[in-house]
Amino acid sequence: MDIRQEYLNAAYPQGEKKNLGGNIRAAFANPIAQIALVGVVLALVQFLALGGAISSAFAYALGNTLIYAIVAIGFCLLLGYSGLASLGTAGFIGLGSYVAFYLIEGMGAPYFVALLVTLAVSIAIGVIVGFISLRIEGIYLAIMTLALAEIIRSLLMVLKATIKINIKNIVLFGVNVNEKAVYLLIAATFVILMMLTSNLIRSPVGRAMLAMKDSTSASQAMGISLMKYRLLAFVISTIYAAMGGLLYMMYVRNMTTATSTLLTLSTSLNILGAVIIGGAKSLWGTTFGTFIIYGLQSMFLSKIQFFVDNPAFITMITGLLIIVVVMFFPGGFAQMLSSLRGWLRRKRVERRIRDYVDIQN
Amino acid sequence: MCVTALAAFAVTIIFRTSTTANFAQGAISAYGCYVVADLLNKRGIPVYLGVFAGVLVGIAIGVFIDLLVFRKGRHVNELGKQIITMGFVSLFFGGIPLVFGTPERIPFEAFYNTVKAGTSPNFVIPAFGGEIVITKHAVICLGITVVVLAVLFLLLKHSKWGLGVRATASSEFTAELMGIDTHVITAISWALACALGVLAAVMYAGGGTSISAAFMTTIQVNAFLACILGGFSTFYGPVIGAVLIPLAASCVGFLANFKGFYGISRWQMVIVYVLLLIAILIKPEGLFGKKTLKKV
Repeated sequence: MDIRQEYLNAAYPQGEKKNLGGNIRAAFANPIAQIALVGVVLALVQFLALGGAISSAFAYALGNTLIYAIVAIGFCLLLGYSGLASLGTAGFIGLGSYVAFYLIEGMGAPYFVALLVTLAVSIAIGVIVGFISLRIEGIYLAIMTLALAEIIRSLLMVLKATIKINIKNIVLFGVNVNEKAVYLLIAATFVILMMLTSNLIRSPVGRAMLAMKDSTSASQAMGISLMKYRLLAFVISTIYAAMGGLLYMMYVRNMTTATSTLLTLSTSLNILGAVIIGGAKSLWGTTFGTFIIYGLQSMFLSKIQFFVDNPAFITMITGLLIIVVVMFFPGGFAQMLSSLRGWLRRKRVERRIRDYVDIQN
Repeated sequence: MCVTALAAFAVTIIFRTSTTANFAQGAISAYGCYVVADLLNKRGIPVYLGVFAGVLVGIAIGVFIDLLVFRKGRHVNELGKQIITMGFVSLFFGGIPLVFGTPERIPFEAFYNTVKAGTSPNFVIPAFGGEIVITKHAVICLGITVVVLAVLFLLLKHSKWGLGVRATASSEFTAELMGIDTHVITAISWALACALGVLAAVMYAGGGTSISAAFMTTIQVNAFLACILGGFSTFYGPVIGAVLIPLAASCVGFLANFKGFYGISRWQMVIVYVLLLIAILIKPEGLFGKKTLKKV
């Protein structure tokens, strides 16, 4: 056997005897299965909290973080796959929350009606932003979407100062639901959107978006319609953001427009930061980034007395973390993980080759 | 208006030399403003010295950020740099309450009152059959802004440093080849931008605004929009944009005096932003911007 074949065998062992562990691992190599597994775990958290094994504050914070994660996946599709930067996320979230308020509180509509209207409104807004994105690009586009978010914010401030949804009015499948059920709804939405997105990015649409990101000119030459995919990217990300707003309103049920940080630039920046430090091209990375930015504080650090006394430290640590990650790992945590994995594999291969050489000698 | 103009200039100079939109502009300005406020209120230092010290702090922060982060992070792409400045926003938002304690206050109340004392705080000019009221604070701000910007534009146009900045702005790589120390240029730009930011913040707070870590955010958003409206490709465009936005806002507000437009002042900012959006859609490179051609 020639040395090359030997090397390949050593590096990529084939035909290893498959045991039970191997089978399970193979089953979970499928991304859909992974997402479903995470969904089950997320749902379990709520049931454990009901049983008293986990504090309900933890579950509540998790639900809150998941809402931002939903927004972040949509943004990941926009930034990581289409290469379009937007700072209008906060405005789109606000849009969703106001639709939720007017339909659920004002008209007593059930969840699915609110969902449909949210979809319709966000498609309309997404198309508008998409058309803007055909005219301007890069940081200019980001600042224009910021202007759009400001328009939406001012509009909402004029319309209603404080919005509040009565918990009795939230109807799902014909029954009134409390926040614990809304948590399950959030988890379900997260899982469904995660599955859809992970399928989408591996479909021709996702590939076209990637091509568009790398070079608009080259992709146009290959027959990819810039207009179609930019509009699509913005529509999808707006839908996700508006759904985040809808779920936020159902979960938190209370917001003062003028003082709410949800509608300001900081939310857009935090979502952007979450996507970047998690890894713009990785859905799991993005989710992880959201947990770093939003979840770390509310779920874990709030238990430590030192941070309760000095909440400013958490903000500082988040800032430092973002700076360090972007400076040294431009691809975010996802890149960090994959380079670690690559290093381990390289070590393993080196060891196998050394063993092989030793045997030959 | 003056505040936005200074902030817009600060944003532009960093954008041109470091190719990043500095989101931390507002946070850094707020930090400097806190320093000035503390010097004024606790140490009883005269205003001019206090502002000078605040500007020095701004310069220090700017140079620090450039040396420590942006010089090392050159390989980071454009978006990454913006995220870094966003990291600084968190850093300052966390840092300000830690360093200065109480999060919100009106720092220049004493100063504002001494200016007011004795004379009326406003100039009243009879015109158009009515009276136009201008606060002294506004006049002082306008004076400072005009002088500072005039000096800066003269420097940009005629000094060696200005030439360096303009060269770096048009192409950093070529500028470096031509023997320009772009490191120094970007460091100075950062220092200048942060100093201007502090000056702007102090002027804004001097009007009797309560300050907090986030009190400059609105100004900053308007400054960004002004930059886009005026076009990033010139230095004077953003400043003109910064004048236009509040001007348009007051024009819309003025409409409220007429019958039928009574409720319009509530919609002031919405209308201004929509107008702005339309302006950008018609002329994407900004009112004074030059079209850049893309080679394939």
